[in-house]
Amino acid sequence: MNKYWQIFKISFAQEFAYRLNFIMWRVRNIMQIILVYFLWSSVFADPSRQVFGYNREKILTYVFGILVLRAIVLSARVVDMAGEIANGEITNYLVKPISYFKYWASRDAASKLLNLSFAAVEVIVLYFIFRPQIFIQTDFLILVSTALSVGFAVVLFFCLLFLVNLVTFWMPENGWAAQFLFIAIITEFASGGVFPLDIFPAAFQKALYCLPFPYLLFFPLQVYLGKIGGLTLVGGLGMAGVWILILILAVKVVWLKGIKNYSAEGR
Amino acid sequence: MKTVFRYSKIWWLMSKNAFLAVLTQRVGFGIFLLGKLLRFIFFFGFIFFLLKGTNRLAGYDLNQTLLFFLTFSLIDTLSQFFFREVYRFRPQVISGNFDLVLVKPVNALFRSLMGGADIIDLVTIPPLIFAVAYIGSLLHPGILHATYYILLVFNGLILATAFHIAVLALGIITLEVDYTIMVYRDLTNFTRFPIDIYKGPAKGILTFLIPVGVMMAFPAKAALGLISFSGVVWSVALGVFALFLALRFWNFALKKYASASS
Repeated sequence: MNKYWQIFKISFAQEFAYRLNFIMWRVRNIMQIILVYFLWSSVFADPSRQVFGYNREKILTYVFGILVLRAIVLSARVVDMAGEIANGEITNYLVKPISYFKYWASRDAASKLLNLSFAAVEVIVLYFIFRPQIFIQTDFLILVSTALSVGFAVVLFFCLLFLVNLVTFWMPENGWAAQFLFIAIITEFASGGVFPLDIFPAAFQKALYCLPFPYLLFFPLQVYLGKIGGLTLVGGLGMAGVWILILILAVKVVWLKGIKNYSAEGR
Repeated sequence: MKTVFRYSKIWWLMSKNAFLAVLTQRVGFGIFLLGKLLRFIFFFGFIFFLLKGTNRLAGYDLNQTLLFFLTFSLIDTLSQFFFREVYRFRPQVISGNFDLVLVKPVNALFRSLMGGADIIDLVTIPPLIFAVAYIGSLLHPGILHATYYILLVFNGLILATAFHIAVLALGIITLEVDYTIMVYRDLTNFTRFPIDIYKGPAKGILTFLIPVGVMMAFPAKAALGLISFSGVVWSVALGVFALFLALRFWNFALKKYASASS
């Protein structure tokens, strides 16, 4: 356990080594939130308006919630894995007495902690700039359910990203392309990261709920806002759990096949 | 005229090579194309369903909002098609390979800016032009406003050129291009929706200070008859001035190039 704690600490320190990159990444996150904030502020210019089941208070909570959830769920260093497989650097880890999965999980945890710290400050600063009405959830049971759904989302995204990166074993030149499609496009939109999924027709929403993506950002935020409860909440958590099991299994199978296929190119 | 013909020929040769390089990775080409199409469909769907629920966004109806989005997509795609090489500039500078560009009898800025047109974006340009023409025709603009629209789209491309030249110049000075170009992309993203959704200083900053509003939103506004002749003249003057400043910045940065690692 101690070695993964050391990896966590080194990875945390490494993030500070590339300060400009990190700051720019945060700036980009803030810009995206500002865009969405103004968009929804414009839609809900009339404070009494109700659209897609949201009022002004709840939609702005959704916007700010996305900033925090992105830091917790979508901040990850596993994105660098594709490069390591493509240039053969992964060999260094295969011969060491460490678990490659736990190695990346430790690095992800460091990234999440740093991003969450910055996101917390950003939310406070943006709050004082825009002074939005924010919905504060006080129901203890709902807060516990939100925390649980966020925990599920973290594991789900780790498995999803890990699996997408494993594609590089077969397509060393296209690891980034796979990440672009599955993470930058599909996850970004289908998780509710750009806009809430409630705006889509009910049938499309139902189809989306059968996929793992809504459980990353949209579902935890719906739980927090109190829009999902009772059996729907249990069903959603169950579906997220099922997807976690499926993805863990898929990661194990694909990893074993990938390692067999790996020929240490570039080493 | 002779110079223009010569550079057109060079651009065609470089673009052909860039296309062939992309086509050697057919899976990657397919994935990126699919990704770009999906992103477009998601945003199109979002605007469609949003406006179905709200009827208006910042005072614009569905077709008007779609014209803003399509105009943004058109200028963004055209500039990515022409200036994709900017995204590959950093390795040239940090490895010192930019020396090889400087010693060739071709303008170094032209080579760094337009040396690798993107075939993935090329594929999406014709359907985008068709979509702009179709949605635009539903809004029935007069000849004058349609002319303003076309003029301001070209002006948007001039501003995009200025931005990309500035990114290259910054790349020489700071050795950082990747994030600068992404911040530029994020800034332009602000104009994916009508610029009137921004209130207070944000609208002023996006229109005058970082003129992404003039670049992406003004053409659609002109088509809707919301930009006067003086507004068009002012926008074109801004575009030319921005290009002039960017070229001065490039010349300044070029003198700072230290040829490190070569």
